[in-house]
Amino acid sequence: MSFNHIVVQNILRDKWTYVSYFLSSMFSIIIFFLFTVIAFHPSLNSMDPGSTLGISLMLASMLVYLFSFIFIAYSIMAFLKKKTKTLGIFMITGASMKQIRTLVFRENILIGVMAIIAAIILGLVITPLFLMGAKAVLKAETFGMYIPIKAIVLTVGLFLVLFVVISKIMTRFINKEASIQLLKSDIVIEKSINSHYLLLIISITISTTLSYLLKIDHEIVVSFGILYYIVFFASILSTIYLIISQGMCFLLKIFEKSPAYMRKTNMLLASNLNAKMKSHANMLFLITILISGVFLCTSILFSSYYNVAKDSEANYPYSFQYIADPKADASMVKADVEYLEKQLSTVDSQKYFIEFKSNEDKRLGYMSVSNYNLLKNQTVSLNNNEFIAVAGNHKLAPITNIDEDHYLKHLKLASVDERNLLSTGFQQTYFIVPDLLYNSIDYPVYKTYIFELDNWTTHTELARKITEDLPTISQQRYVASKIDLYDSELFVKSVMFFIGSMLSLIFLSAAMSILYFYLQTTLLQEKEKYLGIRKLGLSKKELFTVVSKELAILIFVPFAIAITMLFVTLFAMRTMVSTTFLKVSLMSSVCFFILFFVSYLFIRKNYFKRLLSN
Amino acid sequence: MGNSILQVTNLQKEYIGEITYKALNGIDFKLGENEFVAVMGPSGSGKTTFLNSVSTIDRPTAGEILINGRNPYSLDDEELAKFRRSELGFVFQDFNLVHTLTVKENILLPLTLDSLPANKMHQRLTHISQFLGIEELLPKRIYEISGGQKQRVAIARAVIHEPSLLLADEPTGNLDSKAVNDVMNLFSSIHTELKTAILMVTHDPYVASFANRIIFIKDGKLYNEIHRGNNRKQFYQEIMDTLAFLGGGQHEL
Repeated sequence: MSFNHIVVQNILRDKWTYVSYFLSSMFSIIIFFLFTVIAFHPSLNSMDPGSTLGISLMLASMLVYLFSFIFIAYSIMAFLKKKTKTLGIFMITGASMKQIRTLVFRENILIGVMAIIAAIILGLVITPLFLMGAKAVLKAETFGMYIPIKAIVLTVGLFLVLFVVISKIMTRFINKEASIQLLKSDIVIEKSINSHYLLLIISITISTTLSYLLKIDHEIVVSFGILYYIVFFASILSTIYLIISQGMCFLLKIFEKSPAYMRKTNMLLASNLNAKMKSHANMLFLITILISGVFLCTSILFSSYYNVAKDSEANYPYSFQYIADPKADASMVKADVEYLEKQLSTVDSQKYFIEFKSNEDKRLGYMSVSNYNLLKNQTVSLNNNEFIAVAGNHKLAPITNIDEDHYLKHLKLASVDERNLLSTGFQQTYFIVPDLLYNSIDYPVYKTYIFELDNWTTHTELARKITEDLPTISQQRYVASKIDLYDSELFVKSVMFFIGSMLSLIFLSAAMSILYFYLQTTLLQEKEKYLGIRKLGLSKKELFTVVSKELAILIFVPFAIAITMLFVTLFAMRTMVSTTFLKVSLMSSVCFFILFFVSYLFIRKNYFKRLLSN
Repeated sequence: MGNSILQVTNLQKEYIGEITYKALNGIDFKLGENEFVAVMGPSGSGKTTFLNSVSTIDRPTAGEILINGRNPYSLDDEELAKFRRSELGFVFQDFNLVHTLTVKENILLPLTLDSLPANKMHQRLTHISQFLGIEELLPKRIYEISGGQKQRVAIARAVIHEPSLLLADEPTGNLDSKAVNDVMNLFSSIHTELKTAILMVTHDPYVASFANRIIFIKDGKLYNEIHRGNNRKQFYQEIMDTLAFLGGGQHEL
């Protein structure tokens, strides 16, 4: 019987302990593999790696890898803890620490290799389906199946390294004393949490102060830069941890004094929470952080996805905007406009033919009030000594200082319009002046043809054709289309959306499998305990109540904390974010709640079944 | 003897596996009110299976069990749990105390499950802890007390709801000789003062000699039955003789 034989038998005879570890490793590998399959897809070859899309794909893959690293390390830790007693028996029978480490190392590598192989095979099976999904979400035309050799090589290589590194590090954590201690008595008594209310108050005060400074954009924030954010992040984390642990400690103390404590199964529940207060608090903290990550990810990415149409319109206000340069060939302009009219004859559209004059050196435009009214479908009248300043850039206020201006210096500012008039950046500012004055201005004339379509977001095909046929030619014509912008922006945002959903999926399932692991490690102890109480006369239903409540606390308390934090953040930022953002956050929270509830039911059923099984 | 608390008729238990094994092969037994009976027999004779069947932990294959005239196996899970914590008290070899609870909470556990009024709970707790002499243990955690103390706590928990039948499975198996004496004296006083019927499985002749009557089981069948006279020493000798006859207990001589 060789040493390797023991390694293999040790796994085979205790398969269920290994299965959950194996599955969670495999899961993270599959996710990474699918990401790389997308990243190395041939139809993305033309993509510039420096573009938003390229960078976000890279970042996402790195994030997944980093996350897998932490997640697998955590799984090994949990797994080792569960195996401590077996290791203790090995030690007692005379295995040296070195042999134990070799045993654990080989076991982990064996499982790791199996997980990688299984993940690649399963990944290849899922890939066509996944690519189809990606194709639909990304609205890409070519996203077919291919043989992802690069992805396979990268996944295998990176995860082999990961398993070797993690296993080597983790075997250092095997604690001889703890293993042998566990042999003597099965029951490990946890130290309970001491109350540190002062610390809690200090921590809350610091966090609130820091977030308030951030909100009012105090100069301290600017002067400390990145350091401030690190401190802020750390303080938020420690506050969350203290709130969870101290809150639990405090609530349990109150509960123990209340008359309800001696009712039904309350005492059992409270004592369960009490006995495992520290590990429960750690678990709650971990899950809270993961869920907050999910919420943040989705809220930001979903909302950017939903704002594409609005953002496009804010930058390029019209479906098609054709500006002829003063130096342009008149016959070309005529032909172009005829072409446009012909192309758009089949769809419902409004046409506006207007003009403005431009001080080309300063990029200031002048437009008559009648043209302005035509474009905006309104009837604003200006006195002879008045003008209106309209923005030429998205999110940049128009210039109102006209003391130097030859034509305007005697005029009075009637009003300011901060929405940009034409495509963003074409002119700095447009001054709307009375018609009479406009005629006297001696600057080159820019003839402008504007077409506005009904239901413009549906005409992406048409926009693509027109912008292809009529590209912008400097000094001749300037063509801009919000539809085209929307189309290309939507692709980028879809990819982000896609990545975001994948990431939140990973975080979410990680949270759930960490919880599952956690329950697994104490399953045996719990089983024995409940078996004893069952003999005294605890019905299955009563046992179910206790388990349900305990699990509900483990799952929904982190959820509640994360949701509260999300909404506090949103409330603090309510002036900066749109209502769509709030709506989307609310919607995704509901979705997550449903997901959570389903996983709660699933975990509960599974756990309960295993508690009762022999 | 009066009415019977427990009536077992033709009790059978088969373990079905690769080799089907009959652990109990038709046992008839009656336990009267306020009787203290010990069950003895060699290892593997079926005495624990017998107790488990009676204590509603292990469903028999055939036969009938009536406790206070009721058949516990006709009850559903919830009713059965209620039945257990009102009619039966359990004492186990490994104490079966809940480590996450204090001594006091452990003792009160059956009462809290029934949500008894708080003052009634404490009244009973005071009474029973005085009776068993464990008042100073009440605020302690389970891991802070010794084996003998643990068994006394377990006994307190087993009788706090005033069961009609106390079932004990090797209650002294994990104890040293001093603690064995203490615990067995407690059983005796529960029997005489609280008037609780007791059914106890043991392999220790000394422990068995505290009972009024001993039944011997061999190969899943009732083998012999002896009654205690006035002299415990003589009773002990009788037990030893029977065991020698049975062939399972010689090594303990």
